[in-house]
Amino acid sequence: MRIEKCYFCSGPIYPGHGMMFVRNDCKVFRFCKSKCHKNFKKKRNPRKTRWTKAFRKASGKELTVDNSLEFEKRRSIPVKYQRELWNKTVEAMKRVEEIKQKRQARFIMNRLKKGKELEKEEAISEVKKNIHLIRAPNAGKPKQLEEKMVQKLQEDVEMQD
Amino acid sequence: MGKSKQVGNHKSDKKKNIAKTWKTKRRTKDLDQIHADMIPANSAKLLKQEIDYDVTGCAQHYCLHCARYFVDLKTMKEHFKTKVHKKRLKQLREEPYTQEEAERAAGMGSYIPPKKVEVQTQQVEEEMD
Repeated sequence: MRIEKCYFCSGPIYPGHGMMFVRNDCKVFRFCKSKCHKNFKKKRNPRKTRWTKAFRKASGKELTVDNSLEFEKRRSIPVKYQRELWNKTVEAMKRVEEIKQKRQARFIMNRLKKGKELEKEEAISEVKKNIHLIRAPNAGKPKQLEEKMVQKLQEDVEMQD
Repeated sequence: MGKSKQVGNHKSDKKKNIAKTWKTKRRTKDLDQIHADMIPANSAKLLKQEIDYDVTGCAQHYCLHCARYFVDLKTMKEHFKTKVHKKRLKQLREEPYTQEEAERAAGMGSYIPPKKVEVQTQQVEEEMD
């Protein structure tokens, strides 16, 4: 018994779930739910359908290249049951999953940092552009004029002397 | 992204029942099958088929990339200029999607970006008569 992966969305297909389509050239396609099958029938491209794993990987939304992704593999070699090996494998699986989760979470957090920076930049530029709404453009003018008047008067006084 | 807007389907009888065209019973060729057809050995066979009176145009005018038969050379040449054909060529320029890629996306191995494939409209031999 094997948990297959969906052709369209890459979700797991547990025994007794989903459906299998065999094309007339004997190629097998497995789907986890009718949604995936319907999309396949409509000839949608999984790489371009936003909710599939293939899209998320192709457009850099998720962790794509990492050593932690190399453990889960299709191994078609039967292994004789050994209690010790079994225990160790289960332990290792737990540990690998833990590390994988951590790395994926970190990747996404790093990805989102960029947006925050851009948001900040955008906010600053907006304030700079619309500064006249916060401070009146002629707010400092009367004081300047006053100073100018004082200077001129002083000059006039000097000229008279 | 995703599905393009359907244009001008109201009056045409061709696509009256869209659900029927999606049935697996009348499934047309997939992109990966067309990629297989584009291998020189296969394409030579498809482009020079024997006369079959049951097929459109006696199976003499076949567009490899759109997997369609045409009545004569003129209509086929016209088809090469259409949006449908050009769109199909664009879709074919990327390596076909496979179950392996789906599994890699699910976390069984690292992501490998799809390769580009050179695709060009088939050559049409000029018939002089």
